[in-house]
Amino acid sequence: MTPKERWLAVLNHQKPDCLPTDYWATAEAHSKLLAHLGCQTDRELYTRLHIDRAIAISARYVGPPIPKNGDVFGCGHQTVQYGGGTYNECITHPLAAFTSVDAIEANYVWPSPDWYTYDHLPEQVAQWEGYPIRGGGSEPFLIYKKLRGDVQAFMDLIEHPEIVHYCLDKLFGLAYTNTLRIYETLPGEVDLSYVAEDMGGQESLLFSPNHIRTFLLPRMQRMIKLAHDAGVFVFFHSDGAIHDIIPDMIRLGIDVLNPIQWRCQNMDRETLIQDFGHQLCFHGGVDNQHTLAFGSVADVQAEVRDNIDILNRHNRYILAPCHNIQAVSPPENIVAMYESAHEMGKSI
Amino acid sequence: MADLKAIAENVINGQAPAVSKAVQEALDENVPVGDILHQGLIAGMNVVGVRFKNNEFYIPEVLIAARAMKAGLQLIRPKLLEAKVKSAGKVCIGTVKGDLHDIGKNLVGMMLEGAGFEVIDLGVDVAPEVFVQSVREQGIQIVCMSALLTTTMASLQTTVEALKAAGLTDNVRVMIGGAPITQEYADKIGAHGYAADAATATEKARELVAELNA
Repeated sequence: MTPKERWLAVLNHQKPDCLPTDYWATAEAHSKLLAHLGCQTDRELYTRLHIDRAIAISARYVGPPIPKNGDVFGCGHQTVQYGGGTYNECITHPLAAFTSVDAIEANYVWPSPDWYTYDHLPEQVAQWEGYPIRGGGSEPFLIYKKLRGDVQAFMDLIEHPEIVHYCLDKLFGLAYTNTLRIYETLPGEVDLSYVAEDMGGQESLLFSPNHIRTFLLPRMQRMIKLAHDAGVFVFFHSDGAIHDIIPDMIRLGIDVLNPIQWRCQNMDRETLIQDFGHQLCFHGGVDNQHTLAFGSVADVQAEVRDNIDILNRHNRYILAPCHNIQAVSPPENIVAMYESAHEMGKSI
Repeated sequence: MADLKAIAENVINGQAPAVSKAVQEALDENVPVGDILHQGLIAGMNVVGVRFKNNEFYIPEVLIAARAMKAGLQLIRPKLLEAKVKSAGKVCIGTVKGDLHDIGKNLVGMMLEGAGFEVIDLGVDVAPEVFVQSVREQGIQIVCMSALLTTTMASLQTTVEALKAAGLTDNVRVMIGGAPITQEYADKIGAHGYAADAATATEKARELVAELNA
């Protein structure tokens, strides 16, 4: 089977020839791994470690010029060193000062879907024949937090629901049109779209189920319908302890749950497989807060074993790190994850 | 007549203007400022902490409650000094070098303030020497640090070591938190306390101050 066929088998409730795997890493961690293995290209890395990488495709920006250290939404960014790498963090928030929808309407220009082009996509997809293709999708509350600042964004759910509704309509609208145009450019070629929103912290949901149901779910449902109507599978990503909202997400029609941070509250693997194992594919599951970052090779191998034994009980598991692999994770651990997944995954 | 229970209730519900109004009324009626603090503002935030722990409140509810508490606290702060009402302890708090993620740090700071602690907020991306300086110059009893990322956890250790090297750990306690942090990690780097959430952090801070005063 090709990586694409392996993914599609899992997504279509059929048994793949072996366990599929996926790969997410920060630029620094990726460079370290390439150097460690002596690989020159990403493709070489995927082949060497038997990674069934879902290839991300996206629209290309051709809109008005974006200032240095800025983004399409007018947020300001700063490069922050953490010793071993950098993150690009949002530090200025263009909608922070507004207290009404009217004021935003009068003073802010929303990005237009027409600021993007899609012509390059067929060529991009053609380069990755045999690999699953991911494109389109949405993560608007993440952008909303950048537009308003984290604290204001959270308080808005109670104090300015009209601003949240207005902005999320705009942001979902942009994501919807962008996704539709990707599907139209690549009919039948996109396998999955991310419909994402980080709803969980380490211990619990970040906001109440009521707020999630009011502000996010109806709009996410529209994105999910768009994907399904185009024959595209929906990959739902939310960090953290989200057990309480998973039944809602299943009702909405998600196909894949990611990233399975099983060390978070009420997210242990047995609970998830028992509660939702027949209704979802699981993606991720290899802990990178502890195991990949600070564990031994033997710890990593043991976790891969446990993940396969539990999360693959219904042959609906794609093994991956449960977020971007960070530069603190030793390459030996990363190699151990994929090599043991390949060995153990032959006999699923 | 001043209604301390109404102050607490308005803190819980995040009604900042109502808290300010009720606190001002209490001050005008010469209600002892310590009572306004303990039976009004702190009593309200205690309930907020319990509800947060029980998943009845989430981050938005805690943020607006804390802002309401702060509105009241601002009015009584000068009087607290005059009346020599003792704080529960003096704390400095910040995210460590390289880490800008401060929602968790802010929640802990607010809950501590709501529990009667004096909180010096050092902000984000705080270098070890800034924590050291704060302890030296501001009479800090507890240093609170957070790291959201596995990549910035090492800065927690660096800061603990800087405090040790400066000879400041005898009379100061260090508390750490953040998504990837565990009690085991706190023990490993020689931090005195760890808490998984903002409400538990308050309990831990009280324990550590009691330990210092013992």
